[in-house]
Amino acid sequence: MDDSPILAVTGLEAGVADGDLEILKGVDLAIRPGEIHAIMGPNGSGKSTLAKVIAGHPEYEATGGGVAFGGEDLLEMEPDERAQAGVFMAFQYPVEIPGVSIANFLRTALQSRLEDGEELDLFDFQELLMERMELLDMDLAFAQRPVNDGFSGGEKKRNEILQMAVLKPALAVMDETDSGLDIDALQVVARGVNALREENPEMSVLLITHYQRVLSHIVPDTVHVVVDGRIVESGGPEVALELEAQGYEEYRKAHAA
Amino acid sequence: MSQATAVREEVRRVIGRSAVMAAGAGDPAWLRARRSEAWDVFEATPLPSKRSEEWRYTDVARLLPLDGLVPNVGEAIAGRALPEGLRRAMAQDRESAGRIVDVDGAVVSVELDEALAAQGVVLASLRDAARAGVPEVEALLATEAVPAADGKFPALNAALWSDGVFLRVPRGVRVDRTIRLSRWVSQPGTATFTRILIVAEERSRLSFVDEILSPHFSTVTLANTAVELFSRGGAQVQYVSLQRMGEGGFYLANQRTLAERDSTLDTLNVALGGSVGRIDLNARLLGPGANSDMLGLYFGDTDQHFDFNTSQDHVAPHAHSDLLYKGALDGAARGVFRGIIRVHEGAQGTDAYQTNRNLILSDKAIATSLPNLEIEADDVRCSHGATVGQLDAEALFYLMSRGLRREQAERLVVMGFLGEVLSKLPLGGVVEKVTQAIEAKLRYV
Repeated sequence: MDDSPILAVTGLEAGVADGDLEILKGVDLAIRPGEIHAIMGPNGSGKSTLAKVIAGHPEYEATGGGVAFGGEDLLEMEPDERAQAGVFMAFQYPVEIPGVSIANFLRTALQSRLEDGEELDLFDFQELLMERMELLDMDLAFAQRPVNDGFSGGEKKRNEILQMAVLKPALAVMDETDSGLDIDALQVVARGVNALREENPEMSVLLITHYQRVLSHIVPDTVHVVVDGRIVESGGPEVALELEAQGYEEYRKAHAA
Repeated sequence: MSQATAVREEVRRVIGRSAVMAAGAGDPAWLRARRSEAWDVFEATPLPSKRSEEWRYTDVARLLPLDGLVPNVGEAIAGRALPEGLRRAMAQDRESAGRIVDVDGAVVSVELDEALAAQGVVLASLRDAARAGVPEVEALLATEAVPAADGKFPALNAALWSDGVFLRVPRGVRVDRTIRLSRWVSQPGTATFTRILIVAEERSRLSFVDEILSPHFSTVTLANTAVELFSRGGAQVQYVSLQRMGEGGFYLANQRTLAERDSTLDTLNVALGGSVGRIDLNARLLGPGANSDMLGLYFGDTDQHFDFNTSQDHVAPHAHSDLLYKGALDGAARGVFRGIIRVHEGAQGTDAYQTNRNLILSDKAIATSLPNLEIEADDVRCSHGATVGQLDAEALFYLMSRGLRREQAERLVVMGFLGEVLSKLPLGGVVEKVTQAIEAKLRYV
């Protein structure tokens, strides 16, 4: 396995675009191919901001440090270029696109990866979609529904996993994908992520979560604790268990000064 | 000044009584009289001004130089090949039960499935039908639906119409495939006056697609249309207007639908082309159980101007009408929707809805939405709603985060937004054609 990180975050400072408030205050993080990293932290710690800066959300802005993906400067890239390079973010709040079917959306997403003038073969696409839905144990009719329109919370997250399965990213950033899910929906999401990792052990995952619960289904190599815009502790899965026992209060106190 | 110019000016036709005479040459006496009366109404009626509420946003005095237009009086140019643009649009149409082709206000061909003709379906040039003495034409042309008394433009059309469509489907006959009118305007600076008269007799069924196309013009070119639709008891009628004129086109239509007991009379207005489009649509629900779904779809860019003025007249009790107009506006385009639901006295049990939604794609585009209700009965269910929204930044980011380029993401959102309208009237070929036309426009966005 290549030992150079797929994602290298160095001294990243970031906040809301056009705002003075600094949310990330120097984050360092290196994820190697095939690794699963979990970022845990209390509300407002900046963990979701990290996901959004990596995906290129227009409302967030890096003010210092850098993010490299496969050696390329990610911060210089548009969101679509990041996706094409292999970054995928599963949204905490997936957006409704009325009138656009999931199948049509995914077809366009795959078409966008081709050279100008090259046409996606529709038969190949149908085949791929069916195969991916089978892998995730999903009903084919699901892909005909308009993207997230009227979906339950669980359906929205399943849709994120389906998109991830079709687009086959090198890095999957899961932005609190587990929040608000019941245990059944959580297991569906976890099974999907694990199936994709089994298929492609090189796929890296950055799992952002508030709760330890998800980490017993998607087992991380490394757990980072973020408090007030900084990583205050990194370690193995045991860190998550300690957190579960102690809560974030200890860290907050320790880093208040 | 040369001799030739003087001669040309001498023969140049203008909108006036002599053009009314020319358009009516060969007409039966009743029709010449009707034209002449309509011309009197036209002359006696002032041009709609911006001071009137219904024309507040469309300044016809400025946008439409009526005096400079040359009226087409329906002389078909024999032996001329159909224009390429028209042939291409016709080739896209899938199965049809019949078709009328009209070039510059003259019907050049009429085709109808022989089996339908044998069942008594009549599809004819309106002018031929009037001259042949078809009784419904005399009874219904510019009388009940779009009479001259309705206003300046209905009067002008009733005086100057050169040709159009007469369609009658007899009692109980169901025409499953679409009947089409394919229209082309070729001459810049002309005014074309067309009428469509459709009668669906009791329990019959038909769908009719009226498509108008033209090249781009450097001067204002008017296509004025009066559409009179009658659905008798239990009949089912669908009328679709596809307006795809080129730049310079000024499309002005008066449409009226009269739905009797237990009949459905659905309409879809698609406005994509032309520089100005103004549609006045009045749906009258005349019998219990009558139903009208009224759909509209518009996509404007550059400086296109679309103005829809709709009314839902619930005259009879226990009728249903549901209006949904959706538009996307880019560039410096302007969209105006003004709609009113009128529940007349005694129209108890009315169900009437009205929704207008606009998607604004640029800083310079403007949408104006004015829904209204006028209710004179107490047991009714009515609602109206209007929205004007921008392209959602979060939605664009979501799509781009999957690899779509910004313009692909925008296209998908716009198509999804407008697609709702098309999905409600899935007529063979219409959805594909409109989708393609919108996508062609989006390529330049």
